Amino acid sequence: MLELGRRLGRRRASAAAVKRAANDRTMALVAADPELRAALFRLVDVAPACRGNEELRAHLAAYLEGIEDPGPLASFGSRAIDSRALGRASGGVAATMVRQMAKRFIVGETIVDAARPIERIWRDGATVTVDLLGEATVTEEEGRAYARRCDEALVELSRHAAGWADRPAVEADSIGPIPRVNLSVKVTALTPLVRAAAPERGRADAVGRLRELMRRAAGLGAHLHVDMESMDSREMILDLVLDLLAEPEFAAGPSLGLVLQAYLRDSEEMLERILARAAAAERSVPLTIRLVKGAYWDHETIEAAQHGWAPPVWTDKADSDRCFERLTRRLLDSYPLVRTAIASHNLRSVAYAAAYAEQIGLGPADFEIQVLRGLGDDLQEAVVEAGLRCRVYCPVGDMVSGMAYLVRRLLENTSNASFLASRASGSDLDALLGRP
Amino acid sequence: MTRFVNESVLELRRAVERERLAAALAELDRRGPIEVPTVIGGERRFAPGFDSVDPGDPGRVVARANATTPAEVATAVAGAAAAAGDWRATPAEERAAILARAAGELRRRRYELAALAVRECAKPWAEADADVCEAIDFLEYYGWRAVELEAGPELIQLPGERNTLHYRGRGVAAVIAPWNFPLAIPIGMSAAALATGNPVCLKPAEQSPACALALYEALEAAGLPAGVLSLLPGEGEVGAELVGHPDVQTIAFTGSGAVGLEIIRRAAAVAPGQRHLKRTVVEMGGKNAIIVDADADLDDVVPAVLASAFGFAGQKCSAASRLLVHERVADHLRERLEGALETMLVGQAEDFGTDVPPLIEAASRQRAEEIVAAAAAGGGELARVEAMPDGEGFFFAPTLVFGAPPEARVITEEIFGPVLSVEPVAGVEEACERVDAQAHALTGGIFTRNPRTVAAVAARTPVGNLYVNRGTTGAMVGRQPFGGNRLSGNGTKAGGPDYLLHFVDPVAVTENTVRHGLAP
Repeated sequence: MLELGRRLGRRRASAAAVKRAANDRTMALVAADPELRAALFRLVDVAPACRGNEELRAHLAAYLEGIEDPGPLASFGSRAIDSRALGRASGGVAATMVRQMAKRFIVGETIVDAARPIERIWRDGATVTVDLLGEATVTEEEGRAYARRCDEALVELSRHAAGWADRPAVEADSIGPIPRVNLSVKVTALTPLVRAAAPERGRADAVGRLRELMRRAAGLGAHLHVDMESMDSREMILDLVLDLLAEPEFAAGPSLGLVLQAYLRDSEEMLERILARAAAAERSVPLTIRLVKGAYWDHETIEAAQHGWAPPVWTDKADSDRCFERLTRRLLDSYPLVRTAIASHNLRSVAYAAAYAEQIGLGPADFEIQVLRGLGDDLQEAVVEAGLRCRVYCPVGDMVSGMAYLVRRLLENTSNASFLASRASGSDLDALLGRP
Repeated sequence: MTRFVNESVLELRRAVERERLAAALAELDRRGPIEVPTVIGGERRFAPGFDSVDPGDPGRVVARANATTPAEVATAVAGAAAAAGDWRATPAEERAAILARAAGELRRRRYELAALAVRECAKPWAEADADVCEAIDFLEYYGWRAVELEAGPELIQLPGERNTLHYRGRGVAAVIAPWNFPLAIPIGMSAAALATGNPVCLKPAEQSPACALALYEALEAAGLPAGVLSLLPGEGEVGAELVGHPDVQTIAFTGSGAVGLEIIRRAAAVAPGQRHLKRTVVEMGGKNAIIVDADADLDDVVPAVLASAFGFAGQKCSAASRLLVHERVADHLRERLEGALETMLVGQAEDFGTDVPPLIEAASRQRAEEIVAAAAAGGGELARVEAMPDGEGFFFAPTLVFGAPPEARVITEEIFGPVLSVEPVAGVEEACERVDAQAHALTGGIFTRNPRTVAAVAARTPVGNLYVNRGTTGAMVGRQPFGGNRLSGNGTKAGGPDYLLHFVDPVAVTENTVRHGLAP
């Protein structure tokens, strides 16, 4: 495993990788100062709501107030506070910076925009899952509109994917074909009725829309992957998907996926529930489970603290990492009942999965590694070179709707405990590959 | 106890908690109407006088209560006055220990008490549970603060003199409580008085006597001496008797503005033989506005506004009833609010999926309907929930009013119902001017992502509680001291560090320690 990890970790020589490394260093510099980090996130967050550069500058100036050394933000920040003319310019620089950041993580504003970058990923030997960004769904019309966009995306992506060159390595595993088109959907975007204390309301509202999307995916031979979000919607989403899975009309398709969050203390229990239901469903297409650490750690921790609850997540990151490895084994052991996608940028987690799969005799196509567009680009190249299937999570959407996603990703990228941050700061590779 | 921690609310997203609550409600229903006696000096007197009913099903009697007579009020006050000396002399630690035990009683019965608030006041589960928690918090927080207060503050000391400042209980406190926080508010006002050494005559709202009885039982079980607390269920005249009684020292009231002003006026009169000034602690509701700036995140605004305006059907003094929106985002926000309004489920409080429960009584509904009708007649456009439940419950369709004229009641009066007036403004400055023009100043909200805007609004707002980028309800004991200014109240802050000062008299003692030139 160590050898595999070192191989994945050392391979970063491409020109693109060098440019990304420079970006990461800037980011690391900003992230090192908590106040600066907060200012940057707030700026990214508010950018789409600002009309014109002057408004953006005014916000930036307010965020930087009281910060002694604005570091890399200084060029378009504090120096500009006193000068209106310069101020407008600095607002422009900030707007450009935010746009660039968004571009790194978001693959396009629409599926049409995204088609070329997605095809490039395919040409590079990886594949994708597309996530449609959007504003929070608070009305029925917004829920319907999101379902429509998902439906159109399935159709549109299928049209584009038909023209892609054949890549047998990523299009089948030992069980059978793996769909080219892969769409991630959010149940909380399908319905405005998600109520933590009344899961039946959101469920009743979402079930029809999700069923329609499943039918569409089945018709097109596409894969539909249901994302997991916070604890407030988890039970609802899990029950909804598992029940749909058991409906006779879906016995032969579509290929469907769920997400398992290893940072949840009860994630192993949850996996057993999912496996039992998957076994009972008697489908000809296996369920795919994407294993993630989980992206709502701060949210869950803060919410629990404010309400006086025991946090549902591991509070020590090493516990999450260990849980991730236990779940990895259980998942890979469950092949071919379920297909496993290891979604992590942690080299150790990825290498561990690959080594364990090999140890139990799975072929390189019998599981996949998933990375996030803009965050896992280096890893993507390394995984592809190692002959494994790599799927890139590609958000599609406009700036306004993309900001919540962007801030979450930035948080992740700059968290002190994150693998990426450790890597960017030059931590010893073997230490990072050590047992959690 | 050295450090206070808020009681944890139930994790209602877990099915097991919901099942336990539903079971507690079923058990409550099975037991039938609760008999609520008048309790004076530990002695219970009961004859069926008036009923409290389920606002969602008014045919269901929740409690039958004794109607306390004026003579009984006099007996209660006399008993309390007689008990005042011993209770005042009881160390604050001991008083706090009794309150902490009472908190433990409430904790032990929390599922049952939440169910009671659901039944008696149609308070939805999450809010009913929060009410229980706040009741526990008040008992523990005030007990702890009273111990701290007993030590007295530091004074300047010079050679040859010793200065001390002590606070002591004033004497009989009358607590006149509302029904909308049927557990937290009566126990909060009572706990503040008790913790600081004052006996209490508690007059609960006539809509929620059973909740008040549960509070009495908790304090009784905790070992509170019998004479120190009396329970006086009844209608308005019981409160009036208490306010007018010459032996009452302090009046703690939460309720309507009209009653509050009347209490202040009558409390100012000194009866023949009365040797003290009555003090009033008065909390009288609000007309609360949320300001939305152009840079606000509307994804956050919509759910926070709906919860603030329509949660518990708007029957909180902290509820939002005006939305002042920057004109640049007004159309977009209106569209999203109207759409989101349609997702609001009006139903029984006991259903976990209910967003908006019935109002407390028929008169409240009629008044709200009149205000909405007048707004429409004056040119306001209405958006209302269409789907309404069947039955006799006092259901009222949550309503958004757009473009009501400035003098309309929907803009000037507290409604205490699920009605929100939405008004575009040129900017935050204009919004602040509109808020400034109001007589009420309880809570307020501002949604903006500019820290300078937050600072500017915070600096000039008249309200007692300003909430930034969140809803305007749900103040937590010890974290958000709660209370309003202007006609919303006399500036007292429930659950805050200085609340207890309203229930005590300060006494400074200065001793000359010099004797024949010798100072120790």
